[in-house]
Amino acid sequence: MTKVPMTEAKVWPTSNADACIRCATCMAICPVSRVTPLFPGPKQAGPGAERFRRPGDPSVDSWIDLCIGCHLCDMVCASGVNISELNLLAKAKYLDEKGRPLRDWLLTHTYLYGWLGSLFSPVVNWLLKNSAIKWMVEVILKIDRRRQLPGYQSPTFRQWFRSHHSKGDRRIAYFYGCYVNTNEVEVGKATVEVLEANGFEVTLPAQECCGIPMLGNGDFKGARKMGLQNVPNLLKTIRSGSEIIFSSTSCGHMIRHEYNRLLGIPGSEEVAEHIFDLFEFLRNLKESGSLNTHFKELPLKAAYFAPCHLRSLNIGLPALEILRLIPGLQLENIDADCCGLGGTFGFKKEKYEISQEIGKDLKQAIDRSKPEIVLTDCEGCRLQIRHLTGLKVLHPVQVLRDALLQRTDEEMG
Amino acid sequence: MDIKTEVLIIGGGATGTGIARDLSLRAIPCVLVEKGDLASGASGRNHGLLHSGARYAVSDPEAARECISENRILRRIAGHCIEETGGLFISLSEDSPQFRERFLMACEEAGIPTALYSRDQALELEPELNPDLLSAVKVPDGAINPFELVRANAKDAERHGAKLLFHTGITSLLIDQNQVRGGLALDLLSGEDYKIEASFVVNATGAWVNQVLKLAGLRIDMALSKGSMLITNQRLNQRVINRCRPASDGDIVVPNETVSILGTTSVRSEEVEDFEVTPPEVSLLLTEASRMIPAIRGARLIRAYAGIRPLFQSGGTGGDRQISRSFALIDHGERDGLKNLMTITGGKLITYRLMAERTSDLICRKMGVDVSCSTHLKPLPVVAESLRPKDRLQKIAPGGEVLCDCELVRREELEEILETMQFRDIRDILHRTRLAKGTCQGGFCVYRLLGLLHESGLVKESPNKVLKAFLEERWKGIRPILWGGALKEEELIESIYKGIFNLKDSVEFGVGSSE
Amino acid sequence: MHFDLIVIGMGLSGLMAAKTASESGSKVLILGKGMGALCLFSNTIDLLETLPKGMKLDEGLSQWIKDHPQHPYSKVGAKIVEEALTSFTSLFPLPYSFVSAGDGNSLLPTGAGTLRPTYLIPTTMVAGASVREQGGLIVGFKGFKDFYPDYAATLLGCRSLTLPPFRTFHEEITAAGLARSMEKESFREEIGREIRREMGNETRVGFPAVLGVRDPWGVKKGLEETIGAEVFEIPILPPSIPGMRIFNRFKEWLVQRGVTVLLGHSVSKAILRGRRCEGIRVSNPPLSSFYSADRYILSTGRFVGGGLVANEEKIYEPIFDLPVSQPRSREEWFRKSFFSNLSHPVHQAGILTDSSLRPVDDKGERVLENVWIAGSILAGHDSTNEKSREGVEIATGYMAAKCAMKK
Repeated sequence: MTKVPMTEAKVWPTSNADACIRCATCMAICPVSRVTPLFPGPKQAGPGAERFRRPGDPSVDSWIDLCIGCHLCDMVCASGVNISELNLLAKAKYLDEKGRPLRDWLLTHTYLYGWLGSLFSPVVNWLLKNSAIKWMVEVILKIDRRRQLPGYQSPTFRQWFRSHHSKGDRRIAYFYGCYVNTNEVEVGKATVEVLEANGFEVTLPAQECCGIPMLGNGDFKGARKMGLQNVPNLLKTIRSGSEIIFSSTSCGHMIRHEYNRLLGIPGSEEVAEHIFDLFEFLRNLKESGSLNTHFKELPLKAAYFAPCHLRSLNIGLPALEILRLIPGLQLENIDADCCGLGGTFGFKKEKYEISQEIGKDLKQAIDRSKPEIVLTDCEGCRLQIRHLTGLKVLHPVQVLRDALLQRTDEEMG
Repeated sequence: MDIKTEVLIIGGGATGTGIARDLSLRAIPCVLVEKGDLASGASGRNHGLLHSGARYAVSDPEAARECISENRILRRIAGHCIEETGGLFISLSEDSPQFRERFLMACEEAGIPTALYSRDQALELEPELNPDLLSAVKVPDGAINPFELVRANAKDAERHGAKLLFHTGITSLLIDQNQVRGGLALDLLSGEDYKIEASFVVNATGAWVNQVLKLAGLRIDMALSKGSMLITNQRLNQRVINRCRPASDGDIVVPNETVSILGTTSVRSEEVEDFEVTPPEVSLLLTEASRMIPAIRGARLIRAYAGIRPLFQSGGTGGDRQISRSFALIDHGERDGLKNLMTITGGKLITYRLMAERTSDLICRKMGVDVSCSTHLKPLPVVAESLRPKDRLQKIAPGGEVLCDCELVRREELEEILETMQFRDIRDILHRTRLAKGTCQGGFCVYRLLGLLHESGLVKESPNKVLKAFLEERWKGIRPILWGGALKEEELIESIYKGIFNLKDSVEFGVGSSE
Repeated sequence: MHFDLIVIGMGLSGLMAAKTASESGSKVLILGKGMGALCLFSNTIDLLETLPKGMKLDEGLSQWIKDHPQHPYSKVGAKIVEEALTSFTSLFPLPYSFVSAGDGNSLLPTGAGTLRPTYLIPTTMVAGASVREQGGLIVGFKGFKDFYPDYAATLLGCRSLTLPPFRTFHEEITAAGLARSMEKESFREEIGREIRREMGNETRVGFPAVLGVRDPWGVKKGLEETIGAEVFEIPILPPSIPGMRIFNRFKEWLVQRGVTVLLGHSVSKAILRGRRCEGIRVSNPPLSSFYSADRYILSTGRFVGGGLVANEEKIYEPIFDLPVSQPRSREEWFRKSFFSNLSHPVHQAGILTDSSLRPVDDKGERVLENVWIAGSILAGHDSTNEKSREGVEIATGYMAAKCAMKK
């Protein structure tokens, strides 16, 4: 039997598999088991399998790697079983034993080489689109060639911000995340501009990748390392009197909940109390009557999709609430479950088909709504929806920014 | 269809099937009749402990020696029915240190190997143990699957020529001039009756011995002791955990496949089929077992059940815990003047083979045959591929239809079992698989099992009648533990069957089942 | 955040309460720990098993109310029950709507081949009501373990057909997987052709209730076109796809109306001052969020939903710690026989209320001023055995919101 050190044993959540009454509600909602028999579904994979696992026995449940980590099963379980956590722990054990391919390391450590991507973005982006390269990547790394790897932008968001002079009456810190920094700089800019339009001076605390790609791949050690670097920096910001916002619901979910619940990072509880989803923060402004609502009319038909990690933040749909204030904006909430990308899940060759099959339901829901653009708070969902529909997909803050500030069409890119 | 044979064995528990195997290995023809299914008495209603004998070392050295000797034999011949978990006798602060010393010495005298562990060593092996424990003594206890054991004996007996008849009762004994000559048998499912002529009759009916003896106007002194047990939803310990103190209620927790079994109580009973677990028994078991493993207090229970220990009283007084767990072989020719009738009772699951050996020896002596026993040398056959929890887990996806979600029993597995047996009653299947033994206790899968049986044309009566009888039987096991998670489960299951399916009115197994 | 009304519990009664309150223009928050009983047990809308055939709803109900003064229906009154049902059905316009057969109950076939009485039926199930008299073909799928066509058909006097596994799934398929496949035209055509080949002189075909989640009527029509016979759904083991349709419809409507919907975390505690609730805490570790409202509706269900919790000694209500009416000791909760003619006393346990559905203690004294109780947590009824589950949920959810939002 492997011995878990006391510190770690305390950190990891205790299994409440006993609470499962086998009602199978989770089986009705799991996006993976609905499309493939390869994954036995949350009831079986989580609390069910838990009864069969013995400390010290090698993992036999290779299918556990197919849990996409959407947390939807947790959300619908009336008995409060922490199904996806049980799955993640089992997945970590399985991958620890089996070993992780180089591919997984590359997919989860983009923060280490993202700056290079930005620096050489013209070349890199050409390479990423080149079909011969994509073929090689598929053969060597098992990253599916049908998936377009995200392109890099230069300058990075942080570089842009250095030359930007943020001004305001109150200060707010921004955890922008890796993807905004090197791949979707525009989301970062829009966030800064919206906050400034509400009278905030924006600061950027020192930050590393939040670690969620590693956690999603069962690499607790790697994820914890990122958390241990981030938390002291974020605490410094908080203790200087500034709240923090995030624009990526995945980074936010990680920092706010998993740092504490799964990784037990010291100080994470205090961080959780002071870090907010961007739109949650704006909704609070609205509640206190201080939200800048001088919106100009925006005649646009948009569909909004709530990402899984937003749902597990359990703050409702604040982006929808705020965007509804914009005159002219026709907004429909897309009631679909999971986009199917699952962070790095959908890039993997062996999981691509599953990812696409899950995505089909979302695509159909979007097709029915016939929007001009799609809005969603998570970069993964944006990538996937672009891939599925070919539509223009933005972060809701980009539309909010446009409603607040004069922009020409070219700039809206 | 009258039958002629050499030996008629009554009772299809471990002892009866053990005797059938022993005799047929000695090439003595025999027929076994059992009124229910295999192991439907105490053989199937115990905590599945492969005794090391340590429990009896202090109080009953003879029983202890029998246990450890049979323990070694069973490991050799029935490895596939056993999980070699090992066991610990733990001492808590309130347990006498003198007892531990006596215990260690007595084990040594009985030939039971022990090792003394410190508190920390014990906790490292079993992290759920009460951290207040003082020490633990390691003993060669294990877990045994009694159904597999009995089935293996039955299969080997059949392979060597024995005939086994289930759901068959003996309604009277054929007696001719102070000598038994067989019995009248009744097929309880079809209603057919016939004669079984035999030179010898062995009464191996455990707690039911006096019901058989009554047919001959005889009676022996038996004490019936009800032992109740509780099953947890998850396996909390990897080794058998015993309390290092004189035998008492709630002093053992046996790991078994996916669950742990808390045992036992000892309540004198007048009824052989008194299987009701009372609220005081439930609280007593929980209180005592959670002293050893505190997590038991908050753990989800999935079932309560009881078995009747047939204790043979050879005189003496004292509580049931003091009655010897040794067995008794009674030659009614010597005792009552009724020749060729024997009763074998008392004992324990672990000594079933020895009991069978002694009984068969006696028969051989009477027959004047000189063939010695070989059951301790020949391994028992594997009846069906038995899947360990790990294998079940591995096979679920994409391995086909899992009918029992809790114990991961696949359709394929059930179909294989149906091929190996002549299907007569749904309970026969429940005895042969892990189906319905998990969290929801058959709440979902028995409906599915009936669907499968109906598809195969195996259910002659209305499937809903069988379903209702099953739910009524299930109720007996869960009613004593209905609070917390088990109560939620109950609300779910009741809402399915009485709500969605609108099933009504009580039906019991066996009642009117020949319709 | 502050609301006019917070509804705790996202079962049918909570959803009904949120809808009703939102229609009156209130700012509403609805919280649910999970999807609960609605997505397990609800297929149709039960009102009362004993509703005598031929007797009009209000007459039958009035009689019941006269005989059962402590029953939730008696607090609501026959007229409001009818009003509530109308409000419910308004959410489901044709073609997928809920209808009754005349004024009384219909007998619908179930997955166990039995018939069960129920009041409002989704239009996808209507054709099943006459299956016992007119026969039909009952269809199931190899690899779908929650429905056995042969089992049900034999008891219903029908013929059965088990379709072989299809390309789209391997050896096993779940209800959700099947419902998803059903929404694909290619799949419907594939099975439709197969069924058509096997059809005898049947004029109707029964399927397990998995004909799609989003557009069941479209699925039914699609199948009918290929098969050339009328198609109906048969309720089966949980999870209930028809229940999910109800849940999804409510959720979609509420979000569209601007109701804040929080699914997935439980209310850990209510903050009380005197006889008023001042707010609730919702736990999502490490955070605990605070929400307040002027009024609260508690509709957390029974044991499965977590509204009531039983320990070894007693039954309690975990959020407000309201007095729970219950048998004196655990031994009296359940009867010796599972299928006892009398229902198990534990089912009558629950929260006692006054005529406005506000909680009272055993002396009838009001315990809280700004909290109303709705749904199956209410004492004095046994929804499973009376077949009153959805009726009580809808009526009390509606009534609680009406009472709570009364100026």
